[in-house]
Amino acid sequence: MMPFEIAEPRSLREAIGLLGRDDPSVRPIAGGTALMLMMKAGVFRPTRLVSLRSIEPAFARTTLGAEGELRIGALASLSSLEHSQAVLNGAPVIAKALRTLSNVRVRNVATVGGHLAHADPHMDLPPVLIALGARVSVLGPSCDRLIPVENLFAGYYETVLARDELIAELIVPPQGGRRAAYLKCTTRSADDWPALGVAVALDTDGTAVHEARIVISAATHKPTRPVAAEAILRDGISDAVLRRAGAAAAEEAGVISDTHGSAAYKRQLVRVYVERAVRAALAIPTGKQRRA
Amino acid sequence: MKTTTKETSQVGRSIPRLEAREKVTGRAEYIHNMRLPGMLYGKIFRSTLAHGRIRSIDVSAAAAVAGVHRVITAEDVKTVIPDPYYGPVFHDQPILAMDKVRHVGEPVAVVLASDPHVAEQAAQLIAADYEELPAVFDEVAATGSPVIVHEVLRPAGMFPDFKDLAGRKNTNLHLDFKLRRGDVETAFAAADHVFEHTFHTRQIMHTPLEPIVSLAESTDSSVTLYTASQMPSVVRMEIARLLAWPENRVRVRTAFLGGGFGAKTYIKVEALVTVCSLLTHLPVKISLTMEEQFYTITKHANTLRLKSGVTKDGRITSRLCEVWWNGGAYADIGPRLTQKSGFTAAGPYDIENVHIDSYAVYTNLPPAAGLRGFGIPTLTWAYESHTDLIARALNIDPLEFRRRNLLREGRPQATGTIMKDAAIDAVLERLAERMDWHAPFDRGSGVIRRGRGIAIGFKASISNTTSVAIVNACGDGSCSVYCNTVDMGQGSDTALAQIAAEALNIPAETIKVIHADTDVTPYDMGTLGSRSTFHMGQAVKLAAEDARDKLLALAAELGLPPETTPIAQIFRKKFGMQAGNVVGIGTFNPKSTQPDHATGLAENITPFWMIGGTGAEVEVDTETGHVRVTRLVNIADVGTPINPGIVDSQLSGAAMMQFGCTMSEGMEFDAGQVTNASLADYKIPGIRDMPDQIINEVVEARQDTGPYGAKGVGETGTFGVSPAITNAIHDAVGVRLTRLPVTPEAVYRALRAANNDALEEE
Amino acid sequence: MVPTAAQQTIRFTLNGKPVEARILPHHNLVEMLQDFGLFGARESCGQGLCGCCTVLVNGNAVSGCLYLAAFIDGADVVTVEHLASAGTLSPVQEAFLETGAFQCGFCTPGFVLMVHQLLDRNPEPTEEDIRHYLSGNLCRCASYREIIQAVRSAAEKRKSCATG
Repeated sequence: MMPFEIAEPRSLREAIGLLGRDDPSVRPIAGGTALMLMMKAGVFRPTRLVSLRSIEPAFARTTLGAEGELRIGALASLSSLEHSQAVLNGAPVIAKALRTLSNVRVRNVATVGGHLAHADPHMDLPPVLIALGARVSVLGPSCDRLIPVENLFAGYYETVLARDELIAELIVPPQGGRRAAYLKCTTRSADDWPALGVAVALDTDGTAVHEARIVISAATHKPTRPVAAEAILRDGISDAVLRRAGAAAAEEAGVISDTHGSAAYKRQLVRVYVERAVRAALAIPTGKQRRA
Repeated sequence: MKTTTKETSQVGRSIPRLEAREKVTGRAEYIHNMRLPGMLYGKIFRSTLAHGRIRSIDVSAAAAVAGVHRVITAEDVKTVIPDPYYGPVFHDQPILAMDKVRHVGEPVAVVLASDPHVAEQAAQLIAADYEELPAVFDEVAATGSPVIVHEVLRPAGMFPDFKDLAGRKNTNLHLDFKLRRGDVETAFAAADHVFEHTFHTRQIMHTPLEPIVSLAESTDSSVTLYTASQMPSVVRMEIARLLAWPENRVRVRTAFLGGGFGAKTYIKVEALVTVCSLLTHLPVKISLTMEEQFYTITKHANTLRLKSGVTKDGRITSRLCEVWWNGGAYADIGPRLTQKSGFTAAGPYDIENVHIDSYAVYTNLPPAAGLRGFGIPTLTWAYESHTDLIARALNIDPLEFRRRNLLREGRPQATGTIMKDAAIDAVLERLAERMDWHAPFDRGSGVIRRGRGIAIGFKASISNTTSVAIVNACGDGSCSVYCNTVDMGQGSDTALAQIAAEALNIPAETIKVIHADTDVTPYDMGTLGSRSTFHMGQAVKLAAEDARDKLLALAAELGLPPETTPIAQIFRKKFGMQAGNVVGIGTFNPKSTQPDHATGLAENITPFWMIGGTGAEVEVDTETGHVRVTRLVNIADVGTPINPGIVDSQLSGAAMMQFGCTMSEGMEFDAGQVTNASLADYKIPGIRDMPDQIINEVVEARQDTGPYGAKGVGETGTFGVSPAITNAIHDAVGVRLTRLPVTPEAVYRALRAANNDALEEE
Repeated sequence: MVPTAAQQTIRFTLNGKPVEARILPHHNLVEMLQDFGLFGARESCGQGLCGCCTVLVNGNAVSGCLYLAAFIDGADVVTVEHLASAGTLSPVQEAFLETGAFQCGFCTPGFVLMVHQLLDRNPEPTEEDIRHYLSGNLCRCASYREIIQAVRSAAEKRKSCATG
C-alpha cells in the first residue's frame, strides 16, 4: 500500500467538511474492511482518509424510536447489531441475516454505514433492509436528507451519495406482524459471498397477503424488487402462486452472469429461492429438509 | 542399555506432536517470520502476457523511487549465473524471463528495497514491451499446435531415464510415457461390451497458508538459504549447480512449513533470492502473496480418455488409457509424474491387456506439478468413474464388479510387477462394511435425493531415492535425530522420533529432531510422495540401531551390563564425566527398476504400494444442483501406523483436500490470466463445507520392508474422494459428471440435460 | 511517484503492557506486531478470509491484515502469545494440543483466538454454533473435525475451571 494521510475529525459535521466534493482520492473510513481490500489491491489509492472512528459516540448506538422503529447509528458495528436486544425484538430477520454475513472478524469491525455506502451488490443487509422499508438519514454540507435504502444504490458499487455526504443513521420500521426471511445461496463454498440473496417481508393474514416485498440481490447489479412477483403473491399463498411468483421474479430481476454462475442458472436459483424464502417467512415446510 | 521411563512400545502410540506447544502458542518457527539485519525485500514484476518475445524492459522509474535499493532483470542474473535455467527434469525455467515470457505471471524483474511497500509500489512502475506471440492453453490442442512454448528440450540429467529426450525440437510434448501389455485391440474386438469415456479436470492451486517464501544471505564464497522448502538437499544441489560451486558452499535451512502439499518442492524462489543477495551483498527475502502462488505452481489440468473391453459376466479384459497432463509453461517435475503415476492409469484391477499413453504437454499457463497424490487422485477419478459407469451399464453392483476384477496380492500389476504388501482387497471389503453397503439405504424424497458411491485407488511410491539420517546420543543420554525431512504438518518430527525411540528404547518425547540445515543434516531426496515415513523412517531406524549397537558395544567394552546400563552411565564410565557422543548413521536406498522405454514394463516398479478407498453419501438438491456430502468414509492401507492419531488426521486432511478439488476448486483463465487468483474467488473447503461425518480407518496390514511395518500415508486419503462423490451423485440422480469441480451449476445443468431440457448457456 | 509518509507515534496496551510504537499510516496491525517480535498473527490470504492474522482488539477478534495500525492508538490488543504468558496453556490451547487440532500449525493461533472469543460469548456452543463461528477461518490441512472436538473439550475444561 502507498502512504496517505489520516484525518481524525471529532464530529460527523467536521468529517463532512474534510471530505470535499471533487477529490476521489479522499474518502471516509470507518471499519475499513472493504476499503483496506481495495487499497491492498491497488484499486483505490487515497491521499487522505477521513476516519470516522472519533466522531460523536451517539452515531454508534442502536435505540428504539418513539414509533417502535429501530434507529441504528451508522458507526454501529455489524456485530453490535447481531447481538442487540432491540434488533432481536424489533427486526429478528436482521439479526438472523447477520449470522452468515461475511465472518465474525469482519462483523466486529465493519459498520452499518460502511456496509451500505460500499454498495457491493453481494452485501447481505441491503435486501433485508429494503424488504423492511428502511431508510437512511444522510448528512451533507448544505442539506440533510432521508433516502429509502431502496433508492440508495445507483448501480454496481455505486450509491446516490455525493462524495461529501455521509450516512448518519439507519431507520428501520418495526417488523411488527410482518413475516420476513432472508435466504442466502452460495455456489462455491458455504462461507462464500452469496450468488443470490432473497429477502421477503410479508404482511399476511392466513393465506391472504396484504403487502409483499421481495428483494433480489447478489445476482443483480444492485438489490432489485421484482414487483410483478410481489403482485402475484397478493393473490394469496398457494403452491401454484409461489411457483408463479418465483418464475416472475426470475424473469424480471435482471440477473447477470458472474463467477458465481451463469445468468441462466441464477435465474433458476431465483425461481427456487423466492419460493423457499416465502415459505421460510411463513414457516411452510418445503420438499427440502432444511439444514441449519 | 537401559533408560528410565519407557513403559510401552514407542511405535503405535498416539502421542501429541512434539511441537504441539509451540504451535498452539504461536511460537513455532516458520521462514515466514524470519528477518535478518539489513535485509531487503524483493517484489517481483510479472508478465501480463501469456506468450511474448521481450523487446525491452524499462526499470528506470522504479529504480528512481526513493528507498529502492536496486532493480534486477535477467541481464543482471546472467552476471552471476551465465546459464540461469533450472528445473528437475528439463533446464527450461529461467530465474527471470529471458528473451520470451511463456505464461502470465512469469517473473520478469525484481525490485529490492528495505521497505516492502516501497518495493511493491516501485514494481508497478516497471514497463515491459513485448512482441505478442500466439499462445496455446489446451493440453490436447498443444500436442499438435504450431505454437511452440520451448523451441528445444534440455534434459536436466537428474533422472537418467530422460536423457534420450535431449535436443528434441519444435514440440510441446515433452514426455510420452507408454505402457503396452498384451493386445488391447484384439481384446476389444473379442469383448462382449466396449465402453469409452472422457474426463476433464482443471488446474488447482496447492494453497499452503504459509505462502512460498525464501531468504538468502551470502558472502563471496558462500550462500545460506532460509527457505520454506520440502526439499532442502535438492535445493542445495540445484543452487550449487547454477553457481558452479561445490555443494558445501551452499547451506539450506528450513523450519516448520505452513503447509506444502507439493508446492514447496524443487526450486521456487530460492534461485532468485540467491542471485539478488549475491548482487547486493545483503540478505534478500521474497515472500509470495497468496495471489502470486497461483502463478507459481499448480496441479495439472487433465484430459483423460478411457476405453475398456468387458465380458458379459463382468470381467475387464482390456483397458486403454490416454492421459494428457497440462504442464503449463515449465515442466517442473511434471514429466516424472506423467510417467510415475501414468503406469497406474488402468486402476487396481487385474487386466490382461493394457495400453497406456501418458503425455506431458507444455502450454502457456502457469507451471504444474504434483499436489498431494502426484496425479493419482486425478487418474483415480477417471478410472473409478469409468469403472462405475461400466458396472451400472452391466447392471452389476459396483462393489461386486470391483471384486470380480480386483488386483490381488501375488498378481502382476500392469507393469508386470507382482503385487506385494498391498491390501487392496482388505481396503475394498472394509469400505463396503463401513458404508453398510448391503443395508437398506434411504434414497431421499421430494427435491432432495440421496445416493452413495465407492472408489478405490492405488499409488506406487517414488522409487530409487535415498535418505540418510544421523542419530546422536549425548553425554546425558538425550538423543537427537539429524535429517532433512521437513515437518510441514504431516507430523514427521513426531513419527521419526517414535521410530528412533523404539530402536533406542527411550521415550519419543525425549528425542529432538533437528530441522534441516544442510551444513549439519545429511542428504534426503525430499519430503514428498508419502516417502518420509518409509524411506527416512528406515534411515532413522538404521541410524538409531547403529547408535544403539555402538552404545551396547561400548558398555560391554567397559564391563557394564549392556542391556541395563543407562546411556548416561556408559558415557560417564568412559569419559569420567558427562561428556562425549555416540553417533549412528543410517542410509536407505531401496532398489526398484525403471519401466522399459518401449513397453513401460518393470519387474519391481516400486518399494511399496499405497492403497486408499473412499465411500461417500450425498444429498442432491434437484432444484439447484447443490450437493451435500453427508458422510465420507476413508479406508487406507498404511502398513502398521507409527502414530495412529496423526495417521487419522492425515487421512481426513488428505480427503478434505481432494474434496476441495472435487467440489469447488479450479483455476479459471482469461487469455492465460487467472481470473480467480484469490481466496475470495478460489474457494478451498471451510469448516461449514465439511461433510457431517468423516470416518477413517486403517486396515490390518504390514509393510515388510518398512520401519516397524509402516508405509507412507500423506496422500492415501485423496485417492478415492472425487469418484466416490461423482459415483454417489450418479446413484442419487442418475447423472454423470465428467468434469471437475462438481459445481451446483454443473449438476443442475446435467439434470436438465438428462431431462432433455438443457438449460440455456447464459 | 511514490509519496513518502510521516511516521506517527501511537500508544496502546499490548498483551497487558502499555507500549508505544512508531508507525506509518499505511501499515497494518500484523506488520506492527512483527516489530514487537510477535509472529503469531500472520498474513496469509491478505483478505481477512483465512483468519491466520486474528488479533483481539478491545476484546473483539479482528483481521490484523485489514486493520490499520494507526487505529490501534489507545486500544487494548491481545495476541495469541499472551494466552500462555504465565507459562500455563489456556484451556483452549490445552484442548487443541490434546485433540491434535492442527497439522502445520500456521492457522492455529487464529483458530485458538477465535475459540477464546466464542467461548467467552457462548460457553456451551452446539456443533452448528461452532461451525458458524469458525466459518471465517481456513485450515488447509483440514483439521476441522479435530478443531470441533477441541472446542467441545475446551468448553468442558472452562466449565470445570469455573465450577472447580
